[in-house]
Amino acid sequence: MAGILSSVLAASAHPKERSEVTATTFDCLNRKTALILFAVAEAVLGEGFLLKAPRFIETVDDYLNYQRPAQRDQFLLALLIAETTFGLTIAGTFRHFSHLSLADRRKILEKLRSSSRSLRRNIYAAFVNVSASTYYASDLTWADLNYQGVSVDHPEILTQAPPIPWRPDDTRPIED
Amino acid sequence: MAGTIVEGRNVSDNRTLTPDFCIIGSGAGGGVCALKLAEAGFDVLVLEEGPNIPEVDGPAPGQKRKMLNEREVDMYKLLYQEGATRLTKDGGVKVLQGRCLGGGTAVNWSACLPPRKETLIEWQKRGLPFTRDNLDPYLREVVNYLPIVRNDKYNTSARKFMLGCAKHDIAHDNLPNNTHECRECGSCGVGCPYDRKMSGFVKWLRDAVDLGATIYTDTKVDRLSANGDRISEVHAHFIDGKTRPTNRKLVVKPNKGVVMAAGAIGTPAILLRSDLDLDNRVGKYTHIHPVTITIGKYPESTFPAYGVPDNMWTPEFADGPTGYLIETGSFYPVLSASATLQHGDELHRIMRDYYPNGAISYAHHTTGFDPNEEYGTVELDDNDDPELDYKIPKANVKPMQESLVMMTRIHLAAGATSVYVMRNPPLEIKNDTQFNEIRKIDFTEPQRSTIFTVHVMGGCQMNKDNKRRCVNNDFTFSGKKNLWVADGSIFPTALGANPQVTIYSLALWAAREICEQNQAAFQFHHQQGGDLPWPGY
Repeated sequence: MAGILSSVLAASAHPKERSEVTATTFDCLNRKTALILFAVAEAVLGEGFLLKAPRFIETVDDYLNYQRPAQRDQFLLALLIAETTFGLTIAGTFRHFSHLSLADRRKILEKLRSSSRSLRRNIYAAFVNVSASTYYASDLTWADLNYQGVSVDHPEILTQAPPIPWRPDDTRPIED
Repeated sequence: MAGTIVEGRNVSDNRTLTPDFCIIGSGAGGGVCALKLAEAGFDVLVLEEGPNIPEVDGPAPGQKRKMLNEREVDMYKLLYQEGATRLTKDGGVKVLQGRCLGGGTAVNWSACLPPRKETLIEWQKRGLPFTRDNLDPYLREVVNYLPIVRNDKYNTSARKFMLGCAKHDIAHDNLPNNTHECRECGSCGVGCPYDRKMSGFVKWLRDAVDLGATIYTDTKVDRLSANGDRISEVHAHFIDGKTRPTNRKLVVKPNKGVVMAAGAIGTPAILLRSDLDLDNRVGKYTHIHPVTITIGKYPESTFPAYGVPDNMWTPEFADGPTGYLIETGSFYPVLSASATLQHGDELHRIMRDYYPNGAISYAHHTTGFDPNEEYGTVELDDNDDPELDYKIPKANVKPMQESLVMMTRIHLAAGATSVYVMRNPPLEIKNDTQFNEIRKIDFTEPQRSTIFTVHVMGGCQMNKDNKRRCVNNDFTFSGKKNLWVADGSIFPTALGANPQVTIYSLALWAAREICEQNQAAFQFHHQQGGDLPWPGY
């Protein structure tokens, strides 16, 4: 049933072309769902998000491999539902999600978040979780968080005392 | 002769194996059973769905280290079930479980607590044989073998917690870890890259292989075949690096039997796929520790990713059937971003405000003590993959609200300028006049807040009640003489404490039973001497 629904929605989805989406081969996404994902992520993260997460689409596509197949299918279906129905059912326009302005897409996100229907809140959670976690997985975003990276790349993390000592009055060196 | 680790992704033929014992799962229960059965002289085969953790060249010439790069996006998909995106059926709870060589022991935060006295008493009411006295030799074997130690190097989250607890006169203590000369990189949750965490693949499994055990990783068990009251075959297939089937299959024909140790979701799922559902009891009565989380924002940088993650706690609120224990931790960008339930400028503001200056505390909540309360059920989806149908029990809602209030109080007392509560919409608490907002959170509705769990228990429980029992007190699965269960799925309630040590101890007990039932000697090596690391236990 879900497969038939996905096929029907995919046939009616014509997401806005974005030159920023350069990926051409996919494991789990396709061109259409990649473009919808971009529109969703832009609404969650803001314009120009690829500057700090340039492999965003590829990362999500790879990550979907590891999800339970039924959950992966639900996420892909949620993208198609968002694209083809949310414009009408939530924003009151016949325009599809990816063709809406950033502000209008964010109004839809806000309505999903505060919906009394758990399915809509789940779609909101899926969209923001996937977008936000993939974005902040990128090294280029870490400086904003004062996150210095992983110790195997930067072993000095383990030997430099941070401004707040982890254990003041304890002079023992960190073991190696 | 030493055994070996075979990576299923590289197997190019169909195979049939005939070990004495086939152990399904390499986590806390599977690792213990692998070592003790190998030690007893049996030919042991361990099947693990997740990948091996190969070694790569280290920074110094000739040095080797585990291929664990600490990068969340790489490690979650390598080490966790469903790439750390596992959810309960209605999406309400994020379920973080290990899926790799070592299972949960590879990704937990090294916290080591014994079973609560109150929990053992409750289990005795349900007919389980375990007491503090008779568990003592098993517990000491675990403590001394790993070892479990009190590591008093505290990260910022722990230090802030200690300060706040002291101001409120809340008892708090060191939480022992199974680490050895910890380097304080903070990366327990994405796999210790330095082998300083004494996880399954550093200790139990490595020693089992040294004694001749064989481990197949990337090997997903489809089902067991029974012949009367005995399991005759285990059917599995190999999966590739992206968890897809390789079309190569494995059949195991064990001479002695099968030990289920795939965890509280995995074990029931395999039994259900095998039509061993015992009149609809398998998969039922599954419990979790729902986790509530607070992030305090402090005036100074806190470097929340670094330092020992989980070595400070308070047991002060742990008593009772819906008690909770508060612990401290580390946190990382991806996990933080996935929990914010925010978008747009607010998402980035929250991340930039709370990540650099944040300290975390979280509460594990006890569930399952009231036999009539709601419980979870492990089911199979259309692809025969497991999913956990779970609702937060109504009896836990108020304690979950109160744990958030208590953690917020502690943060504010420690100097936090605000505290982030993962409600939808997010809640930032700056003073106690806002606590009523926390007390309105409805945890029974999915996505009204962010709830995690890292401990799933039950689903194949030991119980004197025929309507609930799946496993007998000698760890045999009901109606099958050569099938044992040795993981957290046998728990009749949630434990009320981090379960690693309890699973190790009960798996030792199970291994002893299996040895005795198969006329082999079970040996303790480390149970004598030394103090337990939990004062007053």
